Amino acid sequence: MYMGLTEATLQAFRWLLEGDLTIWGIVWVSLRVALLALLAVTPLAIVAGFGLATLQFPGRRALIVLMQTLLALPTVVVGLIVYLLLTRNGPMGSFELLFTQQGMVIGQALLAFPILTAMTLSAVQGIDARVSETARTLGASPLRASFTVLLEARFAVMAAIATGFGRVLSEIGCAMMVGGNIAGVTRNITTAIALETSKGEFAQGIALGVVLVALALGVNFGIAFLQGKGEIK
Amino acid sequence: MTPLLSIEGLRKAYGDRTLLDIKCLELQRGTSYLLMGDNGVGKTTLLRILAGLERAQAGNFTFDGVRYDEAPARARLAPRMIYVHQHSYVFNTSVADNIGYGLSGLPKSEREARVRVEMAWANLEHLAEVPPYRLSGGEKQRVALARARVLKPELLLLDEPTANLDDAAREQVAELIRHMRDANNCVLIATHDHDLMKLEDVVKMRLEQGRVTA
Repeated sequence: MYMGLTEATLQAFRWLLEGDLTIWGIVWVSLRVALLALLAVTPLAIVAGFGLATLQFPGRRALIVLMQTLLALPTVVVGLIVYLLLTRNGPMGSFELLFTQQGMVIGQALLAFPILTAMTLSAVQGIDARVSETARTLGASPLRASFTVLLEARFAVMAAIATGFGRVLSEIGCAMMVGGNIAGVTRNITTAIALETSKGEFAQGIALGVVLVALALGVNFGIAFLQGKGEIK
Repeated sequence: MTPLLSIEGLRKAYGDRTLLDIKCLELQRGTSYLLMGDNGVGKTTLLRILAGLERAQAGNFTFDGVRYDEAPARARLAPRMIYVHQHSYVFNTSVADNIGYGLSGLPKSEREARVRVEMAWANLEHLAEVPPYRLSGGEKQRVALARARVLKPELLLLDEPTANLDDAAREQVAELIRHMRDANNCVLIATHDHDLMKLEDVVKMRLEQGRVTA
């Protein structure tokens, strides 16, 4: 049933404040998938970004360009790739992960990886060369010296994680293709907004949109705070 | 007497320009050295080569009777040999944690006790928990000196330790030189600070056209 904008907005806030289980269930799916994806990919991306920033090896420049290119990769393309991997006849079809939250986690991890890697790379490259030299000359092992560099870049790395979280939380292409938008299972904020809006049910879309914007604001405040903490004063 | 550090045939060039061409240089235990010379003459490069932070095209390096010709091998001599930058980097943590950085292998109580001693020496006790961005240039330099001194290095390489600093910092460097000498250790200081040049009981050397002269 078509609802006027004011009426739909009021209804959206009513649902949010009353703790509507459908809406908050959808929010939970989004948060769970995004957090699991980040948990899976963050250590790997930090190591990759640090390695690209500090090690010299053949093909390094090409890898950096590839990583920067992947930043702009449309989410539907990542969704398509993961779909082809997970589909019944695909190389990972036997795991039956298509249209599951685990499948969505894989897709979102792939989306977050280049962002986290590229931003960690940039964060580590921005660290003064004296950090590593000072650590080494005070007797630190190469591993400890590397950890010290990473520690000096911690606020920028945390900002990278927050940016990656924002990216996977707000993407729709991959979630739609890999998750399939199944109610109560893989329907997340963005796929639900798209579906409800296409049906003319604006209230739920507005409610979820409000939550998404609130989360995005929270993430961006977090990034601003972290960047402020890391600033050289 | 066997020198603590000896260098033979050190050569460092950038393209066609030979920066360092040192036939022989020996540093003895219990002695402090001032290395003077104009800007860009290679004082910092020499110290960085000794510390293993830069490679030389040629040169034999012997430390305490053992050869360390390769730069990575010399870098592994830390903390027996410590290099302190002209503008020292203070890690983004507290002053106390900075001074205790090289003591991470010690039990906590021993580490804290040694850090307290160094903070008192460097007059940094009131700044123990202060982050580096609240420190002045002089305070940062004092942190760097205390951070090195706490590790009891046998050879301390100081690059312009009093550049743009006040008399208190200069006095601290003079005290550090005395302390190192009393412990039968060695300090090599690259400087153009005329006040430091007035110090007695130090061996003064000059770096000119790639060569070290007395």
